[in-house]
Amino acid sequence: MKSASELTDYYYTELYDSLQELEQERHAVRKKVLTLFGILGALSLLIIAFIYNSCHCFNESFIWIGVGATAIGGFGYRMLVSGYRSGFKEKIIRPLIEAIEKELHYAPDAFIPQSLFQFSRLFDKRVDRFRGNDLVRGQIDGISLQFSDIHAEHRSRDSKGRTHWSTIFQGLFIVADFNKHFKGRTLILPDLAENLFGSYIGGMLQSRNFTKDQLVKMDDPAFEKAFVVYGTDQIEARYILTHTMMQRLLKLKQDTKSKIYVSFNGEKIMIAVDYDKDLFEPTVFASLLSIEQAMGYIRTLRSSIGIVEELKLNEKLWSKV
Amino acid sequence: MTALIIIAVIVVIIVLMYNSLVAKKNQVDNIFAGIDAVLKKRYNLIPNLVSSVQQYMQHERGILEKVTELRSQAMKPGISDEQKIALDKQITSALGSIMVAVENYPDLKANENVMHLQRSLSEIEAQIAAARRAYNQAVTDYNNAIEMIPTNILANMMHYTRKQVFEITEDERKNVDVGALFKQ
Repeated sequence: MKSASELTDYYYTELYDSLQELEQERHAVRKKVLTLFGILGALSLLIIAFIYNSCHCFNESFIWIGVGATAIGGFGYRMLVSGYRSGFKEKIIRPLIEAIEKELHYAPDAFIPQSLFQFSRLFDKRVDRFRGNDLVRGQIDGISLQFSDIHAEHRSRDSKGRTHWSTIFQGLFIVADFNKHFKGRTLILPDLAENLFGSYIGGMLQSRNFTKDQLVKMDDPAFEKAFVVYGTDQIEARYILTHTMMQRLLKLKQDTKSKIYVSFNGEKIMIAVDYDKDLFEPTVFASLLSIEQAMGYIRTLRSSIGIVEELKLNEKLWSKV
Repeated sequence: MTALIIIAVIVVIIVLMYNSLVAKKNQVDNIFAGIDAVLKKRYNLIPNLVSSVQQYMQHERGILEKVTELRSQAMKPGISDEQKIALDKQITSALGSIMVAVENYPDLKANENVMHLQRSLSEIEAQIAAARRAYNQAVTDYNNAIEMIPTNILANMMHYTRKQVFEITEDERKNVDVGALFKQ
């Protein structure tokens, strides 16, 4: 696999013509977006001023004007950037993925199926809306791998009957083959209870849960501090989570600087990296040629594809007994 | 009335403590059964391994005989958990020596059957290591409960005694990193 610096060279040399073309397009789109926002802002202020002049009061309609302007702004923004967005994905993201690994296929509008997300059992809340994009799938060293951006939401109603949407998970969802044979399920979640209440009370709270499998205490203090493990089988959880695997997962957490959720179920490893945003989206207000932007795309792509290498999922040391 | 509430609370606390002690003891027994199962898988592999390598390994005849002897001891019915733990340690070290010796015989190293046995043994060792770690955690929880106040009072009355943990050597804590081996 190419290193991050090789990919940066590739980004600036091989993709230079496409970047120049897209950068011009970005300037044009940015101008249109700013004009749209300017017109919408001015129009909203005019309407508010007109209403205020006629009644000399502040009322609910001002809020509705704000909501309406935001909705029209959001819709208009998506329309204006859609061409630029698909150009960016085809001309920049696709070649970058192919440069990292030829065996991978990229589908900008597809995503990991909801059934697989729910099969991971990483999130308890009911999923009412499930969206995603940027699906990458294929084989790396004989290991099947797929990942995409995912946004899973939960709907709730308040006492007045108003609908609210809350995010269950937004970020990268990765599914890969796991080379060990296991029957049960092991979940690794961020350790919130121990961080909030300390190891004694936090540990007690974790062991007295009624919605999860058995608590599995791990014999690595650093890992135990960062994560909490639940599993259907105490021995199997430790068979999967060797000391080396725990260190690799800790490193993954440090590298991504995000909350990590890992599920071992059905001979698959499923990893959810909570970036809390849509990745691989083009920027309209910052240059594609800036090093921070370029490195952001490269780092995320490389670390997602590099999961197989990082966690050494491609090593098959054993014969099934 | 107040006295009745206090008595009821004390009874509930005693019941909870009693149940938690029994649960911890059962957890230890339950996981030990898991260890037993994987140890038996390893014992089943030993005769195959010995018969595959013995014609090549003339100098290591002593260690092959020792591992066979240890296996027959471990397979005897009615041996205690402590004896099983002690025998496991010796078998692990004897099998380790055989595997190191295999490296000195190129024919043996390339033998399909021996390669398969080696991989199977690594797999079982990984399962045993996992079972040992699970057992040690369960024993630590149990030992803590029988030594800490206030559960120690009840544990004393129930004649619960400390249990022994499996000692894992530093080498075994690390998985074999094939990539690093090839780079050496």
